[in-house]
Amino acid sequence: MSLLEARGITKRFPGVVALDAVDLRFERGEVHCIVGENGAGKSTLVKVLTGIYRPDEGDLHYDGATPPAIGYVPQELNLFDHMTVAENMFLPLGNGALFRRKALEKAAQPFLKDLKMTCAPDDMVRDISVAEKQLLQIARALASRRSDILILDEPTASLTATEIERLFAIVEELQARGTAIVFITHRLDEVMRLHSVVSVLRNGCVVGNSDGEEVSEAWIVSKMTGKEMDLSTLYRPRTPRGDRVFRVEGLSGDGFEEVSFDLHAGEILGFAGLVGAGRSEVLQTLFGMRKPTTGQAWFDGEPWVFNKPARAISKGVMYLSEERKAHGIFPHMSVRQNVGAGLLRDVARLGVVSDAREAQAAAKIIGDYRVKTASADTKIMNLSGGNQQKVLIGRGLMANPRVMIFDEPTRGIDVNAKDEIYRLMQRVAEDQGIAVVLISSEIEELLKCSNRVLSLYDGRINAEIAAENLSEERLLSSIINTGGAFDATTANREEAHV
Amino acid sequence: MSDGLVNMTQRRGFNLKDGGQIVGVLIAFVVICVVASLVAPQFLTSYNMTIISRDLAFIGIVAIAQGMLLLLGDIDVSIGAIAGLCGIVCTKLLVDAQLDPALAISAGLAVGAIAGAINGTIITMFNLNSLVVTIGMLSVYSGLNLWITKGRTIVGLPKEVTVLGGGTLMGVPVPVYIMAGVFLVILFLTTKTVYGRRLYAVGNSREAAKIIGIHEQRVRITAYAVAGALAGLAGMLLCFRLVSAQASMGQSWLLPSIAAPVIGGIATTGGIGTIWGALLGAAIIAVIGNVIVLGGVDVYLQQVVTGAIVVIAVALDAITRKMGRG
Repeated sequence: MSLLEARGITKRFPGVVALDAVDLRFERGEVHCIVGENGAGKSTLVKVLTGIYRPDEGDLHYDGATPPAIGYVPQELNLFDHMTVAENMFLPLGNGALFRRKALEKAAQPFLKDLKMTCAPDDMVRDISVAEKQLLQIARALASRRSDILILDEPTASLTATEIERLFAIVEELQARGTAIVFITHRLDEVMRLHSVVSVLRNGCVVGNSDGEEVSEAWIVSKMTGKEMDLSTLYRPRTPRGDRVFRVEGLSGDGFEEVSFDLHAGEILGFAGLVGAGRSEVLQTLFGMRKPTTGQAWFDGEPWVFNKPARAISKGVMYLSEERKAHGIFPHMSVRQNVGAGLLRDVARLGVVSDAREAQAAAKIIGDYRVKTASADTKIMNLSGGNQQKVLIGRGLMANPRVMIFDEPTRGIDVNAKDEIYRLMQRVAEDQGIAVVLISSEIEELLKCSNRVLSLYDGRINAEIAAENLSEERLLSSIINTGGAFDATTANREEAHV
Repeated sequence: MSDGLVNMTQRRGFNLKDGGQIVGVLIAFVVICVVASLVAPQFLTSYNMTIISRDLAFIGIVAIAQGMLLLLGDIDVSIGAIAGLCGIVCTKLLVDAQLDPALAISAGLAVGAIAGAINGTIITMFNLNSLVVTIGMLSVYSGLNLWITKGRTIVGLPKEVTVLGGGTLMGVPVPVYIMAGVFLVILFLTTKTVYGRRLYAVGNSREAAKIIGIHEQRVRITAYAVAGALAGLAGMLLCFRLVSAQASMGQSWLLPSIAAPVIGGIATTGGIGTIWGALLGAAIIAVIGNVIVLGGVDVYLQQVVTGAIVVIAVALDAITRKMGRG
């Protein structure tokens, strides 16, 4: 018997099978790495293990008399900044009526020592480093439940190389003491460094499970890919690309460094990378939402002034945010007013909005892009995600842009609406010669739509892949930055610049 | 109280453009008036109507000013003090400097606009919480009022201006006409102009507004300035009505200025409601205030009753909104 064993775990959500008959075993003193793309089912698995979700089929078995205590350390920092280290570790403080600071701080000491943390129990969390915060989350998981199993969800995302080493040393020590570690990560070098067991998830299934010798980066990548992708219909613009619109040289800012690329009229340029790799940040900087630290750009050969979105828009650069609900629509305004708000110059005269013109513009968008809405006067929040997106895209296109930046344009949109949005991007690139930038976390989407893909890793471009070299494996390798991709990088960039 | 009815009316084909959301508030207003006339026979007399409408004129103007800010998701709790400041400055100019009334009133409006713009600039430039900043500014402006007046009442306003506050035209108090004018102008501004669209856009989502190139700072500072000027107008009219100026003027307007738009369906989170709501909310408050007096409620209890009604109205609004969603 294992410490914890999942047998035939199936979890369904409307329209998707998130986990499909998953069998996994977790043993004492073992580091179990779980890898998989976005949407492979990793977080659903964690939620089943920790009891947040009840599986539709299958169950969990354990060898002890009581279920093992599971500590979960989430990816995001989830601490009370304005409370002390000790308070953070022991909240919600059990049932005692009185709060005894000294006792709490004394109890915190051994955990801090175990994790080789340098902060004191009475330090304010806001004053300690990001790495220490990360460790504090682990300490909390250990302190509050004396966990037999510790689940670490991408714990290294915000750590430097030396801090990662420290974390690994701690993981190994916990392992030696018999704790079962579940290590979820995107980074294959960490898997290679740590693993005793690797499980690869794909589409809710365990497609690879090994504790053996055959585990290599290549083995993992081969297991992660091979998802049935329907690449029979491509949406890459077929017309030859036009003149260079943007030239970006050595652009650096918060979250990215030394980014250089060209953008041409009539092409779709894909931006690939893990969440947090700096893709949105690069394009938002170009658009004027963020300030660059160094670097230059040229638009039509003229030096580009990094200023405010209003200026970028006046030059014909449009940006569609990945946060459609928060940063895209005006939820309580009608479809017509949402259209009008973005086209005020066109629908107003002498500062007065013409209802007729606004209605005309809205009707055109609803007709051209087949927006499903009861009427133009329906509040936009009552439309489906895909239809909201079509309204926003239509509004952007009505202003005759030169550059359209689509940031995760199909997030939260159903499959059919996705194809419509791909077709739309293709059409505007082909027919209107608009330079399209597509930021996406979905490999399939990038493969289907891009003429060229730039991949970012840790804020730097690590590969530029031309259409003829685009393959799932190539793209995935560059996104998770396996050794092979680095070599390909230089070669590719040479090719692309010829 | 408004939104539940909004949903019902929308299902029958009304929408925001038709002012359908206001129907609920309108019904509430009518019900309150009917009840009032049954409870207090004096309610429907023309003398009483004059009293209510004059109250409404002042509350209405500050409610419209605050309503604009609430539509943005902003708030200015110092507009009562700004009103007092403008009234005092204008009165001083008329009495001490013997300035031409048109010039003195213009100066009063300018003081209000500047005071509002200062609030707006501090809030937007440093990205501060508007409630906290304007609580501070409330103290600043009321302090100025005390300092300028030295706590004394300024008297001696000329007839040309006191008629604006105390006179009637065809039986209706002059301030009511002025309030109606303000209402029409601001209604037009918020629903028909480019500025109005930007105002609603920023109120709905500051980020989305920035992304389509709206200078949200400018939009917000402008609204604060306009609200300040309107408060100033109300403050000056009050001086003209009282034929004097004193430091405490406008202090009692804080509660109605916020309560009226909220009762009228303007959400404090921004982007929802119309200026119609501010007007009708102000009317409801004026009527309730009047009924309390007519009904013989102890003077010292009146505040308790008004406050409680406001809290109940806000809670009802939240509950119906939640039910509408579910």
